[in-house]
Amino acid sequence: MISVYYFGAISLILIGLYAVLVKKNLLKILVGLSIMETGVNLLLISIGYVSGRSAPILSEGIGPNQAVDPIPQALVLTAIVIGVATTAMALSAAIILYEKYGTLNVDEIRRLRG
Amino acid sequence: MNGQYASLLIALPLISAFFVPLIKGLGDRAVKYYLILVTAVQVGIAGWVFREVYSTGKPIIVMAGGWNPPVGINLYIGHFAALFVVIVALASFFMAIFSAKAIETEPTDKYAMLFLLLMLGATGMIATGDIFNLFVFMEITAISAYALTAYNKTGEAAEASLKYMILGGIGSSFFLVGVALLYGATGTLNMAQLAQLAGGINATVAQVSLALIIFGLVVEAELFPLNAWAPDAYQAAPHPITVMFSAFVVKAGLYAMARILYILSAASGWADITKLLVILGTLTVIVGELSALRQRDVKRMIAYSSIAQVGLIAVALALGTADGVSAGVFHMVNHAIVKALLFLAVGYVGITLGGTAMENFEGLGKRMPLTAFSMTVGAVAVMGIPLFNVFWSKVRIILAAMGANYTWVVALVLAASVVEAVYYIRLIHTMWFTGEGERIHENIAIGTIALFLALLIIFIGLYPDYFWTLSQKAGQDIFNVVQYVKNVPLMGVGS
Repeated sequence: MISVYYFGAISLILIGLYAVLVKKNLLKILVGLSIMETGVNLLLISIGYVSGRSAPILSEGIGPNQAVDPIPQALVLTAIVIGVATTAMALSAAIILYEKYGTLNVDEIRRLRG
Repeated sequence: MNGQYASLLIALPLISAFFVPLIKGLGDRAVKYYLILVTAVQVGIAGWVFREVYSTGKPIIVMAGGWNPPVGINLYIGHFAALFVVIVALASFFMAIFSAKAIETEPTDKYAMLFLLLMLGATGMIATGDIFNLFVFMEITAISAYALTAYNKTGEAAEASLKYMILGGIGSSFFLVGVALLYGATGTLNMAQLAQLAGGINATVAQVSLALIIFGLVVEAELFPLNAWAPDAYQAAPHPITVMFSAFVVKAGLYAMARILYILSAASGWADITKLLVILGTLTVIVGELSALRQRDVKRMIAYSSIAQVGLIAVALALGTADGVSAGVFHMVNHAIVKALLFLAVGYVGITLGGTAMENFEGLGKRMPLTAFSMTVGAVAVMGIPLFNVFWSKVRIILAAMGANYTWVVALVLAASVVEAVYYIRLIHTMWFTGEGERIHENIAIGTIALFLALLIIFIGLYPDYFWTLSQKAGQDIFNVVQYVKNVPLMGVGS
């Protein structure tokens, strides 16, 4: 029986990929990319989950043996920041694109070819 | 001197990038000179690291925070990394000088910052010994590359940058999924420990994660199905940045691919992945050369030619033999020099005559003889004429492919080389035998760099032995995984 977290994470990745491949509006493609990144982050975090343990903050009553794997959390923290940076970058490029081309339809944005 | 100082290779560009806004107060020219100064210091550090590694024959292992791997992140500066940090630093230094002339109108402080971060990312990708750290450096490289592609603020630049961002975003997501699967299967992110544990990974997990990681890196490395962004980005980016893309950003992606491929060589199903990569590489060569043939814009033509050469390197690296890897590394070195020269000359013509369309190159031999001469040397070298450097590396790659029983690959690659000769000879003909023109004064600094690179091409062509020995050592660094694991002082935690 596949865990619901894995199933959900992979589904999010696939939904994002679908949006990137099928949608024509540039902003919807960027939303798809964000959904994909969320799915990847969820997958990473669920790989470190150990059933029945608590957050890896050592305090009274919670020793190293009662915590989930802390490494994926560090990875996800990094990956989230990177994802936000990429999205911000892409959105600012999309603004310039709309100013210069007057459209966000990817079929009409085709000045570079050959 | 202590080997830990090699971490300055990462630290110096990072700190310098943060100081750029302060320097900005002193004016535009100060920023440009600052960029030249920082890259010159980087060349010095890289040169010291290179001498240290090649004179002792031992890699420099930098341990972050004094924690032994696999707990801490380590930098592994072996023969390969030492060779390529020098190339990265030198290419950046030359391009910093070129930028002083080529970047006139736009905000130079942001340019300088992104320039330094691109250099930092590529150096980090080449030096790191940790697979997640590789992802972080890859993203630093990629995000600064996205921003620099869009730097010209034209519609075309934004379009090229967005194509690159969307493909790069998908690629990095897939890479991260691959890393997650590997971590889930082994519990480690350190490359040396991964290599130790690779044999024990479940066959399906190993194959899927390796395929996903390779897929993610293929975007950066411009292999066939995922390289549509590359010619657009090359055409739309500022000229010095184009040189940096083809001279080392691609190389960093290719190296990371080869490194991870050989780290996991004990995993089951490995041979299928290498076979797939050979096929992709061969397709890249053919598609790249055929697309270059019908270009009217010289910069775009050389961009396609660059992609084709990258395909050749990928074929060599994926052959799975020591000869192939060494030949691939040799071609990486040669290609970095040749394409730096070609894009430098094309970019210089672009800023002097306004545009890189084929018409601007008519009569270039009479108008800008120095630039035309160095471009001719570069073009002749790429075709693989004997007595120029690329000839030797192409021959090595073809011999290695024959040795690995890939005769069909050799046939296709050789056929593509004929196509390559056609469009380069067309370019040389346009430059020297058509058009008329007055002599234009050429910039001394850029002329010196171009001449230096041209002489280097001829020098390696005449005396390839020294550079072949270097490449063999660097190739061993990638191919000989047992030695790699032995070199990294693992702490012996976990399994």
